[in-house]
Amino acid sequence: MQRADQHTQQQIADLVNACAGYWELRGIERARNNEMQLELEQHLQQAVHDGKSLEAVLGPNPLGFAEAWAREMHPRFWRGGARCLSGLVYVLSIVSTTALISQLLSRAPAFTLSIFAAYLLTGSGLLALLLQLGGFLAPRVRTRAGREALMLAGAVLAVLILRLAGIKVNWSMALLSWSWPMTVLLLILAAFLFSLDVWRTSHREPTSSVRRVPMFVASVALFDMMLFVANVAIVDFCGLALKLV
Amino acid sequence: MDTRSTQLLKGTLDMCLLATIARRPCYGYEMVQQLAQQGLDLVSEGSIYPLLGRLQHLGYIEGYPVASRDGPKRKYYRLLPAGAKQLEHWRAEWETFAQAVERILKGERSDATSGPAYPTTDR
Repeated sequence: MQRADQHTQQQIADLVNACAGYWELRGIERARNNEMQLELEQHLQQAVHDGKSLEAVLGPNPLGFAEAWAREMHPRFWRGGARCLSGLVYVLSIVSTTALISQLLSRAPAFTLSIFAAYLLTGSGLLALLLQLGGFLAPRVRTRAGREALMLAGAVLAVLILRLAGIKVNWSMALLSWSWPMTVLLLILAAFLFSLDVWRTSHREPTSSVRRVPMFVASVALFDMMLFVANVAIVDFCGLALKLV
Repeated sequence: MDTRSTQLLKGTLDMCLLATIARRPCYGYEMVQQLAQQGLDLVSEGSIYPLLGRLQHLGYIEGYPVASRDGPKRKYYRLLPAGAKQLEHWRAEWETFAQAVERILKGERSDATSGPAYPTTDR
């Protein structure tokens, strides 16, 4: 079978990815999810090869298609919760390591989580999810860059609307504050939950579990660094600029 | 395809899929092609997959991987004994239904040519 052009390949990949992410959130088990992905991808490839559009396969509403298929596969709520466990582990690891680093660096007895840091954390998580699910727009918006630009424009528009509605936020305001024992406790909890998550997936994919540990540590370190830089660059810089003005 | 045909197809697609698989095991895209050859063009081809999932869950068909020349293995579907029994039941049900509809439609046409079919007042 001849392969479609690069743009169409990307559209197919993004659509299949979006469906896979959605099915995972809906609680469809991994093996079945992979099977469904492969079946969908093969169908899309062959349809495109025969000159059909992606819409001819998925209809005008790809999300509706993904949901209809998911419903018939009898998903389990707790399997969807397993995906949330991974997210919780990630957030907990970032927050606890950020607290540890800042307490070590400043030798402060307590750590304060600002609204800005919490916004960055939830915002990044939401953005990652939206960018993946943005693949559902693939039949309408052909390029990935176009889809990403559309999602970002939507996010900016939402912020502008909130701003126009008169909602003002004090970004440096403390959301939570805790001392050393709590940081250590959070670190232990994060490590425990991460081990649980790795153990949960290890019997299915033993090789990927081994790779997961260094990748997880690297991504947490990267996010910590991003959070630190963003805090310094935005909050401190803005504070300094305001003082100068 | 107009709305009526779409609605009719929606209500019978599971039966058509089962009949297609009963002829010989095939994969999703192949089923769509066979349906199209028989004159049934689907509005969205992907709509077969939720139905295949349902038929599989009910134990009427089963999926199995088959090596493909074009790349990774393809998922083929084959009929199970429970599916064959259900297909027979659906066939009988459809024949009764189709005959009834046909009788009504033909009756309407013959009434139209043979005079008024509506009650008239006595004078």
